[in-house]
Amino acid sequence: MSTPARTRSIEDSLPRDRNELSVGENLDFQRRWWRFEHVVWVVYTLIVALDIAGVFGRGPVAKVHKSTPDGAMNLTYERFQRFQTPSIISIHFGPNAVRDGKLQLWVSQSLITKAGNQRIIPQPASSELKDQALLYTWAAGQNPDSADFAVEPSSPGVYRFSFRLPALADEFTETVIVWP
Amino acid sequence: MYTVIHAIAGYFLLLLTVRVLVRRPGAQLTPFEFVIIFLIGGVIILATVGNDHSETNCTCAIITIGLTHRLVSIVRSRLPRLAAWIDGIPLVVLREGQWQLEQMEGLRVDREDVIAAAREKGLKSVRDVEYAVVERNGSISIIPR
Repeated sequence: MSTPARTRSIEDSLPRDRNELSVGENLDFQRRWWRFEHVVWVVYTLIVALDIAGVFGRGPVAKVHKSTPDGAMNLTYERFQRFQTPSIISIHFGPNAVRDGKLQLWVSQSLITKAGNQRIIPQPASSELKDQALLYTWAAGQNPDSADFAVEPSSPGVYRFSFRLPALADEFTETVIVWP
Repeated sequence: MYTVIHAIAGYFLLLLTVRVLVRRPGAQLTPFEFVIIFLIGGVIILATVGNDHSETNCTCAIITIGLTHRLVSIVRSRLPRLAAWIDGIPLVVLREGQWQLEQMEGLRVDREDVIAAAREKGLKSVRDVEYAVVERNGSISIIPR
């Protein structure tokens, strides 16, 4: 024997318009919704303005240029980056950065683990892991006037990275926000 | 994991944007509104699957969106107030010979939309309309005199 279908008597639960039309209009609710809609548009406009400014990366506010007092290192990077989106951290070296015919750069390991460093241009001749950091060496004749670190953050959040010239004790420690 | 999070975020962002953007997502979708919805949909897809175009990733994204939609449908059917926020409510735009200007301006519905709906109903003039109601799906219901 089959189970009987479930039923319920009809009821006119919607408020009637002028005691005639069963429509359920609620103008108070609708006015609240329009106010909310207005807020949403303001927020959307703000987001676009912030994006144009570069707060979400790829804009004037995101770009950072820094130099050490002796001019041995000039750093350019984006303080706002995006998850799994390539970005370049660039260092220009002054002539005084080279010691004993070679250029050495100490890089915090967070540049690999957090920033997702993919490659270094030009490729250093050697690298060694030392005290939670990497020491890159460009050999004589290879001394570059700049090094580009192609990064691609593997997770959203905030990370810090450091660059140091061991020969001069010049250092940059920077903070980057990675948007999802 | 990121695909699931992106898919859920994308679903709600799209829901909110379409809700505030257009009142006519259904029967009266114009080419102008088609452009917006397809463009937004395309951009959301890019953010959802990211660089991973694998079958696994796309399947996970589709299933996540399906489950989210199902969950929202269940919650919506049990909470009429939430349904009003998600779907909107019917609004009377013409009542006994009077255009309801606040509702029309708020919904961005113009007189031509109502007159077109009256014609579809077989009415010769808008004067033959007693009530015109913009429904939750955006269609205009005409109640003749």
